[in-house]
Formats: sequence, structure tokens, C-alpha cells
Amino acid sequence: MIMNITDISPWNLAAGYILFTIPLGIILWLHVPMFTQTIVSILRMTVQLLFVGFYLQVIFRLNNPWLNCAWLLVMIGVADISIIRGCGLKMMKFVLPLFVALIVGTSLPLLSFIGPVLKLPNLLEAQYVIPIGGMILGNCLRADIIGINNFYVSIRKAEKSYLNSLAQGARLREALRPFTGDAFQAALMPTVATMATIGLVALPGMMTGVILGGANPVTAIKYQIAIMIAIFSGTSITVFMAILLTVKNNFNTYGLLDHSIFKKQKRRSKAPDFELPPKQGEGFAQK
Amino acid sequence: MKPAPAIEINDLSVRFDGKTVIDTFSMCIEPGEKVIITGKSGSGKSTILRSILGFIIPYKGAIRIENELLTGKSVWKLRTCMAYVAQEPELGTGLAGDILSRPFSYRANLHLKGSFDNVPELMERLLLPNEILNKDIAALSGGEKQRIAIICAILLDRGIILLDEASSALDKAATLAILELLDSKKMLTVLSVSHDDKWLSFSDRIIELRGGSTGI
Repeated sequence: MIMNITDISPWNLAAGYILFTIPLGIILWLHVPMFTQTIVSILRMTVQLLFVGFYLQVIFRLNNPWLNCAWLLVMIGVADISIIRGCGLKMMKFVLPLFVALIVGTSLPLLSFIGPVLKLPNLLEAQYVIPIGGMILGNCLRADIIGINNFYVSIRKAEKSYLNSLAQGARLREALRPFTGDAFQAALMPTVATMATIGLVALPGMMTGVILGGANPVTAIKYQIAIMIAIFSGTSITVFMAILLTVKNNFNTYGLLDHSIFKKQKRRSKAPDFELPPKQGEGFAQK
Repeated sequence: MKPAPAIEINDLSVRFDGKTVIDTFSMCIEPGEKVIITGKSGSGKSTILRSILGFIIPYKGAIRIENELLTGKSVWKLRTCMAYVAQEPELGTGLAGDILSRPFSYRANLHLKGSFDNVPELMERLLLPNEILNKDIAALSGGEKQRIAIICAILLDRGIILLDEASSALDKAATLAILELLDSKKMLTVLSVSHDDKWLSFSDRIIELRGGSTGI
């Protein structure tokens, strides 16, 4: 690949910030209460990207497989916490199973992309692992927020219907299957829609990056197809595993959803807040 | 030898957010018995049914179904001994016919698929037209939903049926049709929450809850 991309000088980039005055002006004119939030977001974007830019320079220069893995794990950890916060769920019950789901869902397509597809001798080459891993992870994050939120919120909303399935003799897996299917569909729908319109509506990020990097459009298309395969399989694995692995922590032995997983502001009074015996064991009954 | 009670509850206490809803309640229902629970609103009638199904974990006490103690382990098997019809059944989404056939896809009910042949007869007995099976469940009236839920419960061929105000949205003719159907099943144990006089006269026994502390 020929790297002939034109660099942007700091002054030119700073001048680019002038464009922000248009949306900020509209926000002020319409009295939309998001001026401060937008300013904070712009500052965060700048600081975070500057930090990542410098950090990645170091990582690319060292190109140490362990350091690359560690950086990926940090990214996964941040995604993990963001997903749980985004879903309005309690951290402790989700942090570990979701972390495992994200590791598997990110690393499996990532290694397939770099190994069998790109045929790179070093599977942990920083130049590929970090940006491609980030793209897969970013999509997993979005899909997980939709999928997990949809799964737990719809069970809470349709709890009577869920309990009805249990009363009809369904095992936990059987009673949860329709909710899992709906959550999976909701999580993957944006990627399916993107795949259906890709190239027609807009040139996707990966392709644009490769073209800006100086490669010819056909190479860029091949990269884009490969990344879409990785994203779609990665999001599917993560969402499915996240639901599968979190269910064990969040349903009791009776198959009842633990309502304490929802943060206070999202709870509804209709939830059955029955009080458990002082010492809760396998069964409630005194033998 | 006397058969084991269908349902046996000993010293059941249920607390919600620190408030005792059921206080040391006991009852014993023999196989084939038709029992009605009455009592004013908030006296814990539905809570008893939901506790029997393992949907509420009691604070104290023991529940035995067909002589087996209800625990987090046994509940899965014991639920397959019972059928339940809620006051406002939420049966899921889809066509009424699909709703009726859905429970037969569960592993515990696979052997009951043959009983689905009884649907036309049960529909007729409960005064429901067959066309209803092709309608979306959301488009059905409360009374139609209740009857679909009762047909589903009967098709599951359980020994015990728990009914929570199961005919509250029905007219007199439809309620009597249900009572006649239940009465024809001599071996079926019925535990029903109801205030309806027609149900009270149908029952073998009436249990009256007085809220918090209970009396039989």
C-alpha cells in the first residue's frame, strides 16, 4: 500500500474547528439545552483522540505483541463498562460475563481477518490489530447496548407472558428463547441494514481510510468486505454470548428475573419485591 | 391407602417490602377437589396461587405438590403437574392458534401433542368460534383471551389447575360452560380465586382469606 496521505497541520486543524460554530449557533438559536454537553463532547473528543494518537504512535513504534494485547484488553474493558452504563444495569452482575463475551466476539473475527484473510505473518501487528479490533469492538458495543437492553427490558415488560411460559412447563432456556431472538434481531438489524446499503448511501469508514491511504478502490473494497464480515460475525457472537452468559447471574433457581439488576430510576413498582427468608438457600421451604 | 394431597401448604408467610401479605397460612387440597379462595382485595389470594407456581418465594413455610416439596430444584418438575390461568392472561404474541400450540413445543409437553386434536371440541364447549384461531391474540377480547387460556390449560392435561379470576371477563353462559367443563373432569384438582356466586356454588369447599392473618 502506498502511503501518500496529505498531513494536516495543527493550525489548519484548529481552523477546521470554526465549522463547529454553525451547529453551536443553531443550538443557541433554537435554545436546545445541549450547548454545554456539546462543548464537553468536543473537548473530550479532542483530548481523547490526541491521547490515543500519541499513545498509538508509541505502540506502533514498539509493536510489542503483549503491549498490543494489553491495549486491546483496555479497549474491551472500557467498552464493557460503557455497555453496562448504557443499559442502565448494575455493574457487578454483568461486568465479567460481558467482558468474556466481548473478548471472544472481538478476538475471533479479528484473528480471522488478520490470519486467513490478510495472511499477515504476525497476527498481533499493531498497525492492524488496534484499528481493526477497534472497529469490531465499536460495533459490538453498539450491538450489545441494543441487545442486552432489549433482552432484559422486554422480559421485565412482558413478565406475565414470560411467567406464563414457565407455568406451561417451559424450561428456562425455552421461556427465554423468544426474548433472545427478539434481542438478537434488534441488535443485528443496524448492521444488516448497513450491509444492504453500503456503497450506495455512503462510503464506509474503512474503505475511505484505505483510499485516503493511497490504495486503489478495489483494494479498499476488499478491505471493506472483510471488515463487514468481521463486524457482523463479531456482533453476533458478542450479543449471543452476552445474553447466554449473563442469564445465569440474573435469574434465580426458580427462573425468576432478579429485578435488582436494574438501576433505581428504571425500576417500576409492579416488580414483585417479595422479601426472601433471612437465610436464602436452594429452596425456601423448611424440611 | 389414602392418596397424597394434591396441594399442601404449611405455615406460609409472604412479605412484600416488609409488609406481611400472607401470615402463617395453611391448607390441604385433596386430589380431584374443587376449591375456591375468596377474600377482599389485597388479602393475598393471587399471591397464594403464585407461590404455588414458584413465582413468589415465601418468607416462611412449605408448599408440597403431590407430596413433593417445592424448591428451586423441584419447581421445574412441579410446574408440569399444574396449569395456570391468570385473570388477564398475557399469552405472548401471534395468532391465537399459534399461542395454543406453543406450549407443545416445550420438551416437557412434547408427549401431549395428540391432545391438540381436542381443540375444536373445546372451542365449541366454551362457545368460541373456530375462526378465532386465525386471529391475532392482541385483537381478541378479554373474555376470548381467558377462554383461550383455559383451553390451553385443559390441553396440557395436568392434574391440578390454578385459576385466578379466570372468568372475570365472561358472561353468564360462558362462565357456566367453563364450570361444566371443569366439573366433567372428576380427577382434576381445581384451585380457583373467585368472587362469582356461580363459582362458589360449583366448589366443594370455600377458603376465605381475611388479609394478613388468614382463616379457613
